[in-house]
Amino acid sequence: MAKSGAASAVFIMDVKGRVLIWRDYRGDVSATQAERFFNKLMDQQSENPSSNNPVVFDDGVTYMYIQHNNLYLMAVSRQNANAASLLLFLHRIVDVFKHYFEELEEESLRDNFVVVYELLDEMMDYGYPQYTEAKILSEFIKTDAYKMEVTQRPPMAVTNAVSWRSEGIRYKKNEVFLDVVESVNILVNSNGQLVRSEVVGALKMRTYLSGMPECKLGLNDRVLLEAQGRASKGKAIDLDDIKFHQCVRLARFENDRTISFIPPDGAFDLMTYRLSTQIRPLVWVECQVERHSRSRVEFMVKAKSQFKERSTATNVEIELPVPMDATTPAVRCTMGTATYAPEREALLWKIKSFPGGKEYMLRAKFSLPSVAPEEDTPEKRPPIRVKFEIPYFTVSGIQVRYLKIIEKSGYQALPWVRYITMAGEYEIRVI
Amino acid sequence: MNSEKKGELSELKASLRQFAGSRAPGSTEAKRELFKKVISYMTIGIDVSGLFTEMIMGSGATSDLVLKKMCYLYLCSYAASNSELALLTINFLQKDCQDEDPMIRGLALRSLCSLRVKNLVEYLLGPLKTAIRDSNPYVRTMAAMGILKLYYLAPASCNEGEFVPALKRLLMNDPDPQVVANAVCALQEIFDKEAESGSGPNVNGKDWLLSKEVIYTLLNRIRDFSEWAQCIILALAAEYVPQEPDEIFDIMNLLEDRLQHANSAVVLATTKVFLHLTMSMADVHQQVYERIKAPLLTLISTGSPELAYAVLSHLHLLVTRAPMLFAADYKHFYCRFSDPSYVKKLKLEMLTAVANEANTYDIVTELSEYAANVDVVIARESVRAVGQIALQSYDVNGIVDRLLQFLDMDTDYITAETLVLVKDLLRKYPEWAESCVAVIGGVSHTAVSEQPAKAALVWMLGEYGQDVPDAPYVLESIVENWAEEESETVRLEILTAVAKLFFKRALECHRLLGRVLKLGTEDGNQDVHDRALLYYRLLQQGADVAQKVINPEKRAVNEFAETQSSEAKDRIFDEFNTLSVVYRQPSFQFMAKEQPKAGASSEEDPATPTGVLQGGGDFAHQELLSGAEKEEVAAPPPTASNGAETYSAPNVLDIMSGPPANGNAASVSGDPFATSTGAPVADNAPSSSGGGAGGLDDLLGGFGGQSTSQPQPPPPAPALQLVPRPTLDAGTFQRKWGQLPVGQAVEDSFAPAALAKLTTPQALLRHMASNSIACMASGGNAPTFRFFFYAQNADASGFFLVELIVNTAKGTASTKVKAEQAHLVEPFVQMYRTALQSF
Repeated sequence: MAKSGAASAVFIMDVKGRVLIWRDYRGDVSATQAERFFNKLMDQQSENPSSNNPVVFDDGVTYMYIQHNNLYLMAVSRQNANAASLLLFLHRIVDVFKHYFEELEEESLRDNFVVVYELLDEMMDYGYPQYTEAKILSEFIKTDAYKMEVTQRPPMAVTNAVSWRSEGIRYKKNEVFLDVVESVNILVNSNGQLVRSEVVGALKMRTYLSGMPECKLGLNDRVLLEAQGRASKGKAIDLDDIKFHQCVRLARFENDRTISFIPPDGAFDLMTYRLSTQIRPLVWVECQVERHSRSRVEFMVKAKSQFKERSTATNVEIELPVPMDATTPAVRCTMGTATYAPEREALLWKIKSFPGGKEYMLRAKFSLPSVAPEEDTPEKRPPIRVKFEIPYFTVSGIQVRYLKIIEKSGYQALPWVRYITMAGEYEIRVI
Repeated sequence: MNSEKKGELSELKASLRQFAGSRAPGSTEAKRELFKKVISYMTIGIDVSGLFTEMIMGSGATSDLVLKKMCYLYLCSYAASNSELALLTINFLQKDCQDEDPMIRGLALRSLCSLRVKNLVEYLLGPLKTAIRDSNPYVRTMAAMGILKLYYLAPASCNEGEFVPALKRLLMNDPDPQVVANAVCALQEIFDKEAESGSGPNVNGKDWLLSKEVIYTLLNRIRDFSEWAQCIILALAAEYVPQEPDEIFDIMNLLEDRLQHANSAVVLATTKVFLHLTMSMADVHQQVYERIKAPLLTLISTGSPELAYAVLSHLHLLVTRAPMLFAADYKHFYCRFSDPSYVKKLKLEMLTAVANEANTYDIVTELSEYAANVDVVIARESVRAVGQIALQSYDVNGIVDRLLQFLDMDTDYITAETLVLVKDLLRKYPEWAESCVAVIGGVSHTAVSEQPAKAALVWMLGEYGQDVPDAPYVLESIVENWAEEESETVRLEILTAVAKLFFKRALECHRLLGRVLKLGTEDGNQDVHDRALLYYRLLQQGADVAQKVINPEKRAVNEFAETQSSEAKDRIFDEFNTLSVVYRQPSFQFMAKEQPKAGASSEEDPATPTGVLQGGGDFAHQELLSGAEKEEVAAPPPTASNGAETYSAPNVLDIMSGPPANGNAASVSGDPFATSTGAPVADNAPSSSGGGAGGLDDLLGGFGGQSTSQPQPPPPAPALQLVPRPTLDAGTFQRKWGQLPVGQAVEDSFAPAALAKLTTPQALLRHMASNSIACMASGGNAPTFRFFFYAQNADASGFFLVELIVNTAKGTASTKVKAEQAHLVEPFVQMYRTALQSF
């Protein structure tokens, strides 16, 4: 047994567990073996959904899989592999395929077998991941699903010091878009207590820049500001755990907190961070349920915006779980519209615009079948879930102080910065 | 294949022939379409190997890269099954290896190396050699991996061709990071394989790979590598043994920023390096935990559930090793509604692990919410988690009351889980009997249908029947249904419970006991029959005698035995960031080929790997709940010194597979049934082992069963064998070193040649390791160096600890040896000195 943990093969299967396409890297597993295993797995799953681990050992072989749309992507290994790395690799395959076929699904795979093989060949050799950046891979991939003309160019990237960016990129207009996106995760238990809150932030970039631009980004980072001797007047922020895209010079950041990098071309996440300080839920929802009799249930819901008045939440959607056999809804609300979505067993209350410091109410009555269902199955109790976006606002208070772009040709590039806060996993449990 | 497909194939064949040699305009496009068709047939499982000749003819003349690629793909898929035809392709693949386009050179080489046809190996040596020196890095990356492919196909040709030195050169000098990365992969696999089989010219190749020079070269370039290559290099670095403490800090400083990498695999790989480097420095190790906490916690709340699972598995390992450090972060392990079950299960386990006085109230509140939820599996696990917390921390914040409150939910599966847990709780804390029994008495036995729950209820009725007014009548109505009771565990339990209650409430139980004994002796199940008969005969001897055996004074269970030895756990920790952590088993237990040597197998927990399909974690848990034998009965401590210390997890399976080791024999002896009938574990009722060990030991003698608690006599002529790669953590080493007396002290002298080699202590460590003597720590400055070594007896019975002080100026080596088995000191010292002298 080798310790290195290379994959033996990568399979792409349909929902029924049939192999659509696979790449054999080491010749020590077979497609029939994989299909047999997968069918066994699916049988178990039908008995107890979502019980299966994504990493399963069977008869000397480890199967690691992820699901995407109607497909399963599966890495298989006979060695003591690195599960985290191979699972992540499968996600990268999805990203790359999406880049090539717009959407990765059975249909697009079937139409593009040849490209799929080509990609799988360049992304992994003898079970070891190689290149997984779509832009770089396009240097190798000659059969394009959409444009068939072939440009004979030796692969540039590998000769570069910068593996994530090719040379010779040209744009007429040089622009950078930087979105600061913060997702708020909230967990309120059935006693109405906020048990957990967390902010996960991302600096999402889209770059349309020529040549090899050097970028420098300044944030209102507390450590940096204090190091520079600037008194922070409540403006500086502390971030719990920062992670950077591989293009960022991490050593530089460690030294003087400067975020400097040569960006990849196109869209990427420059930086992600987390903040686990207790925060006040931006949108608070309370729900009272009254069962008037066996056949009637009434919900009284109060939604409150707990942020400053100058901000406004948009596209607020409150998903209120209702019993699966509820009928004839009668709903009144002081703002927005409410629709019953029986397929989701929920009432959806949508409010287009929800300014700070406001409070809205909703009342909904449902009829229940007077005869209880035969099997006394325990009631499903999903939480109330809330979605919203608050533009021009961040919970953490993070601010981009500057974004400088320097390229040797000396062009002027326009940076556009936007801030937005949105609901992430926003769960309010009901009794 | 149906005729329609057959027709299509022959049509395809004809068309391919038609275009084969054609260079007419448009022919390339036509051929591409045809080739595509072949490839799609191949993909959907139609055998197109019959087109081999046509495909080669069709692509031979072309310079079109797209065509070539499709043809290569076709070749690699069918060459192995058409090895004779494959020879035809060699010519044009070799030609392509000299093409002016580096892309074609690379692809052709990759295909050539991937044909997997043994008798074609000679044709790929030449192109491979050229490719190593190719000016284009793309070709060299293919070459590096190609050498590994060659090695698996024909190790001899690979070694004769001087390919390993070539890889070493690439690793050290190539400007392209991906070439270096592939060279690392290739060398690592080759070296590991030869080291494992113990033969080949590179048996000790790993020493070079783990030398300071190589590791530093790689680490200094770490930022140039792709994220995947970084993972490989970090995994290698985790095996590196620094020569001086300063190095540890240098490496950690260098790699600190890797913890901020967006790729979770890189973060985990860095974590491993940090944890392993600091193993011998307790306080720094602690700080490492603090440092890696935030990045790992972030990874579980972002990213896909599958990745969260992989990261959580590792976090679980860390949490169980240092629960205190994660106690304040318990909220990170709260479950989301949308989390898949496999994530929720891990989170529940971690909540259990980190529960302490400060957070238990919150955690139990949260767990109670899950128990009320619809997902039955998770609801059950949540109840178990509450019970587990109650077991590990003596009534924090009224947790026992909250456990009992689950019974009010009136949900059958919750009630079932709760009963089993209350039973375990009472075995550990009998003082809770009063409050628990009051509630248990109110449980309607008809609502309890699950076997373990029923067994638990019956056990409690027997054990605490004096406090449950209508216990005899409840038992009576349970006895009514004896015939319908399918589980022999429950029937055994009923027997014992009625017998026990008889000693407490003889008047009410007299008739019931008679009835049960009759039913029992007529029972079809051997164990039930035997136990009934045993009780009957005991009672014939008189009530006093019978009571001593059946209903003795209870001694509370202090600690439920862990199902996994601490050694297995340490091994898993060594294999951090591999599947071992996900499966919670050391790799040799699930990797088929690497079976431990015969002697070593008894040392490990022999749990079979077949259970893994259900998820390693579960079944450990179940064993804990059901296995009465797992409980350490207050048995007389084993007299022999060997084994008992390292082997703290008794496992009954040993009994069936061979003579038991001393340690576990002692703890199993509490249950006569296991040894006398050889019955499988599950057949033994949980209560039976609760009996006082003393009484049962007597009984065993009377039964003429083998007296298992006697120490095994030491082997007559101690021919010492050592575990090839012993494992021992620093803490245990220190403890043992402190406890054991010096077995022998010897003075040796070092030859000047050996002293010269000692300029890098590393060399000595490797040399000793090759003699199965591992290094725990080393240090010092010229002229005095100090080493701590350890080795383990191959039958896993004990460790040897060594302190070696070398004075390079005087050329002396003074050694102190401590051994857990005093009688083995002599042979060990001999082995050790032979090893040292051959340095």
